[in-house]
Formats: sequence, structure tokens, C-alpha cells
Amino acid sequence: MNIQVRRARHRQMFIFLLVCLGIFVLLARLYYWQILQSHSGYNLAELANAEHIKNLTLDAPRGLIYDINGKLLATNVLRDDVYVEPLQFSLDHPNTAQKDVEPLIATLHQVLPKVSIAKLRAAFASGQYTARIAIGIDPTQSEQLRALQLPDVFLEPRTWRIYPGGSLAAQTLGYVTQNDTDNHGNYGIEGMYDTLLEGKPGSFTAVQDLQGNPISVNEQPPVSGADLTLTIDSTIEYIVSGALADTVKNLQAQSGTVVVVNARTGAVVAMAGEPTFDPNHYGQYAATQGCLGSEEVYFNPALYCGYEPGSTMKMVTMAAALDQGLITPDTTLDDQGCMAFPDAPEVCNWEYMAYGTESMTQVLIHSANVGAAHVAHDILGASRYYPYLARFGFGQRTNIDGPEEAGVYLAPGDQNWTQSDLTRQAFGQSILATPIQVAMAYEAVANGGVMMAPYLVAKINANGKVITTQPKVERRVISSRAAQLLTGMLTQAAHYGTGQLAQVPGYSIAAKTGTATTQGISANQTEASVAGFIPASNPQFVILVKIDRPQKAIYGSTAAAPLWRTIAQQLMWYYAVPPDQVS
Amino acid sequence: MVFRNKDPNSLKAPSGGQEMPDQPIQAAKRRRQLHPFLFRIGPVALSICSVLLIGLMAVLYLSQSGQAVTANQQIQQFHNQQAVLQRENQDLLYTIAQEESPGYIAEHAKSLGLVPADSKSVIIVVVPHLLPMKAVHGK
Repeated sequence: MNIQVRRARHRQMFIFLLVCLGIFVLLARLYYWQILQSHSGYNLAELANAEHIKNLTLDAPRGLIYDINGKLLATNVLRDDVYVEPLQFSLDHPNTAQKDVEPLIATLHQVLPKVSIAKLRAAFASGQYTARIAIGIDPTQSEQLRALQLPDVFLEPRTWRIYPGGSLAAQTLGYVTQNDTDNHGNYGIEGMYDTLLEGKPGSFTAVQDLQGNPISVNEQPPVSGADLTLTIDSTIEYIVSGALADTVKNLQAQSGTVVVVNARTGAVVAMAGEPTFDPNHYGQYAATQGCLGSEEVYFNPALYCGYEPGSTMKMVTMAAALDQGLITPDTTLDDQGCMAFPDAPEVCNWEYMAYGTESMTQVLIHSANVGAAHVAHDILGASRYYPYLARFGFGQRTNIDGPEEAGVYLAPGDQNWTQSDLTRQAFGQSILATPIQVAMAYEAVANGGVMMAPYLVAKINANGKVITTQPKVERRVISSRAAQLLTGMLTQAAHYGTGQLAQVPGYSIAAKTGTATTQGISANQTEASVAGFIPASNPQFVILVKIDRPQKAIYGSTAAAPLWRTIAQQLMWYYAVPPDQVS
Repeated sequence: MVFRNKDPNSLKAPSGGQEMPDQPIQAAKRRRQLHPFLFRIGPVALSICSVLLIGLMAVLYLSQSGQAVTANQQIQQFHNQQAVLQRENQDLLYTIAQEESPGYIAEHAKSLGLVPADSKSVIIVVVPHLLPMKAVHGK
């Protein structure tokens, strides 16, 4: 091999090695970008996918809530949020952005007058990719903006929970938090059934072309939330809440609660509280207090606010004694206005009124504390009284569909319990009960001694799978005979006693008033209430009315009874219940 | 020309012991090896045909893909239209619900001059010999 050939071979080898080196460098670089940097650092694979793959989460429509007649109580609507693109605008107008933005701001302000020009200027000056300038605008404003096709302005639809009745049954319904990160139900039915109502979100994945048009789509549709039908009748609810608001206002009371229950099934027909809130604007009520200032206004006072029931509890004392055959309506006692007990403080009637010899029916007519304490302490005793408090459901949750309190009372065996608790509980002191508990106690008497389980949700429709709530017997509380006797006594009490202002023309009623005072505050700061049912001869509805701290009339007979009558009258008319009294 | 069969087991005439000529079978075999198709085709023609065939398949594929994309876009348009209609439906349902609400009806009744019935002015009319109605639970 001559020298020229050898040199040529060397050159070839050199070039070959050079090419190999170049290829090696390229391969190393390729490894760096394709392997090392594809899923870390720059996340190239993710960026590439983001260019042509669109991933969206499809929100499931929240279930609707209806009243018993199919009227919508809670629904969903789509409303647009308005965004601007300040960065893109400044790129589109490199030298004239300051000047060009003014007409755009003026147009936006004209369509959205609530958004100030200063806010719009600040949004465009922010330099962000996007800035939201308005939330949930009206459909007409959306239409106007779409028609204008403003540059660097876009609309983003968002689902809003709407309550067509405003504050109607608000504390029963609760509300749905509406912000960017949280859309969950709170309080009431919305909170209790949140998982069922919210459904299951779907997904949308699309490969899109350069213009953003989807080429191939993979869609997992969302599963809608279940629709709920409540036992509430919105017409009665409207009547009740309006009448309650008027009463609270007229009596200058602090608050009030009304519960209307179907006497035969335990279905809640209406449940209203005052003050209340509008769930469409729930944020405005954050500072408003309910439950006599102890809780937020969002809590349902009928389920959550315990109170001393006062004389309405005398019905329970009489029921316990009647059921055990220890008294009859005609059993008498000598009522001297006050009664001393060897192991408990003296009990006196309101204003120390002495009634002499009085029957058990007259104890209810006079609303005599002495008579009730005598029955509980001397006739029943703790061992025969407390089982009836438990049977009537006091101190226990009713398990109705909503967050509720259990109430509380001291019983033998509890620390600090004394005979004084027994004598006072007999006429509704030293015991905390919720309005729904008192209403259900009267429901048991109205239903022949059988307590039904109260319920608010009549039907659940989970995408075609319908579950209907059947009325459920909770337990027999007293015998039907005792219930019948007690109904007669309550009818007499309403007719001749403190419940006269609750009388409804044409109908017999069985009702008992209550005026509770709270220890430690002035005696004229009362909780006035009436509990009872109508018609007494064939009970259809149980009504409980409670007015907290009324100023213009402070007794159950004067503050709560007129409202009880108004509600009872409207119920009879609305449901066309035939009168059972013509005299 | 006389052909002689080399294989002693080859076919023989059914009678008379006369040998059968093998020429047509061999010729057909040879012809099939040389020309697998019924017609003669050279390498250039085969290449052109292959290219044309592949091209045709590509065109068909692109056409199908294009149609699928168009159909997909139409579906998306329908989805968008459906979303718009659902939105309108929701708005209409909300409007109906609002106008059905007792508060709205009461307001309109008031604006028409109607007033709530006064429970104090109720008169119970006694109808002699009228059988009592049976009370209805709820509605």
C-alpha cells in the first residue's frame, strides 16, 4: 500500500470518526430532550399534549328540589362570568394599548354598569393573562356582549344555584356555597343531602386541530344529582312565613318559629323561622343571628333551637298519668295557688292564682303549675314520669332530614338532678326541647297515641330510580284511650282556657298555650307558644307557634294564639277540611 | 415425438396399458411459476401498480378520516346547540318557577287590588240534614 492510499484511508477514518462523534452528540442531545426533559424540567411531553389535547371536567347538574306539589324550590341556571385578556390586548396593540383600551372600557362599562371604569382600567393594567371583571351577569348582558364580539373579552359560563321563592323555606333548604373552589351544600336539605344532590362529574378529552376544533373526542358524561321532592307545601309555607314575619314585627319580638305537621303521617307541611335569609344572597346574612342570638341565621330554628316549652309540657304530664290510669280528667286537687313539697321548692301558679278544688281538665284550662307539679311529684313520681318524657321523644333527635339538636333535661341518675327538676319539668321548666319535638309530642296525641317519625323528603328521584318515603310509626306513646281523654281535656283548655284566641270558627281545636320565662332575665322576657291540632274531632294538622321575647304581648294566649288561629284557618280553607262545629 | 413416463407409478390408461403424456400438467406448473397472475406483468408495472394501490388506500383513508372529523365537528356543533337549548330551558324553567311562587302571585294579586281574606268575617252556614264530609288528609 503506497503512502497516498494510506493517507486517504486516514482521512476517511478521520471523517468517519468525526461523523460518529457528531451522531453521538446528536444522540446525546436527543436523549436529553426526549428522555430526561420529557417528563421533568420543561415537561415537554405535557406542553406538546397541551397544544393539541383538551381536557375538561364536566360538572354534573345539581339535583333540583321540589315542594310536594311539584313546584321548584331550588334549581340551577347558567350565568356568564366576564373575563378580559390584558396581556393579549397589550400584545395586539403594542404601541397604542393605553389609547385603544379606553373605547373598550367604555363599551364594557356601558353593558356592565355595575363594573366601574376604575376597576376595568385596573384589570387591563394588571398585565395578567386573564382578569375576571364580572360574575354571573344577566342573560341580556351576556347577549349584548356576544353580539358586540369585543376583542380580548370572553365569557365563561358557570352554574348557579337559584331559589325561585327567595327566602321561602330558606332555613329548611339551606344554601349552596358558590365560589371558584367550593360548590357544596350547607345547612338544611342542601347540606344534609349534598352527596346525593351534587351527582358525579364527567370528563371531556379531545384532540384538537390548530384552530382548536376537536378532531376526536372521548367523553364521559356527568351523572346528574338526584332530584328531591319535599313534604313542604310552598303555599302553606308562604302563608306561615308571612304571618310569622308580621307577628314578630307587630309584637316587636326577637324571633319566632312555626311548625306545621300532618297529624296522621308526620310529614312536615311547613316550617318557618324569623328572622330568616335569602339563599340567593346568603353572604349578606353572615352577621345575622338566629336562635335568640346563639346561632347563625342559617340554622333551622324548628330543629336546632332548644327552648323551655313552658305550659305546653303540661300535656305530657297529664298524658303520663292518664296512660297509667293514675288520674282521670275529673280527678281533683286542692289548688291554693302554691304547693309545698318536702323535697323540692314550693311551686306557685302564675300570679299566685288559687283555684280551690279543680279537676285535671281545669288544671289545663287554668294552666295551673300547682296541678301539674302535684301530678308529677305526688301521683306519678320520678320512676313513672321520666319514661314518658323519653317516650314522647324529649332529649332525643327526631332523625328528621336536617341537622338538629336533641334537647336536654336532667333525669334521676344525672349529676345535680333533684326533685325540683321533676316538679318544674311538669310545667315545662328545667327542660330544653326543640319546636319539632314539642310538635311531634302533640302529633302523638292527635294520632291516637301513636307517634309517627317526622320527615321532610317525600321522594328521591336518582336518575329514574325513585324512592318514595312511606310514613313510619316511631312508637306508641300512650294508649288510644288516654289520647282520646287528653284530646278532650285539650279541647276544653282551648275553649275555656288560655287558648281562646286560637279558636277557629267552625272547627274544634285541641291546644295548649305556654309562656316560658328564662332564669336570670326579666320575667316579661318570655317565650310565648301554642301547640295543638285541628280539627280536634278528626285531627289533620298539628301546629306549633313560638314567639321569642315579644314586647307588646308576652303570653302564649295573647302573643302566639292569634297567629296559631290564622295559620289553622288558612290550612282549613286551603285543604278544604269540612267544619266539625256549627254552633 | 414420443414421451416416456419416468415414474413407474404414474397414471396409466384405464385399459389397454397405453401410457398417458404428462406435458399439459408440467406446462401449467411451469407457467404458474413464471406468471403467477393470469396476465403478464413486469417489475416496473408491478411497482407502478403498487404505488397506485397504496396511493388509493391513502386517499381512501384520508377521505374517511376527513369525513370522521367533519362528522365529529357536526356532533360538536350539535352539542353546542344542545347546550344553548339546555341553557334556555333552564332559564325558562326558572322563570316559570318564579312566576308560580306564592310570593309572586300574591304580589300580582295585590297589584290587581285583591286583598287577603279576613278570617274574622267567616260565616258558618248550617245546612240541615247535610251528611258530614270525610276529611281528606293532605292533597
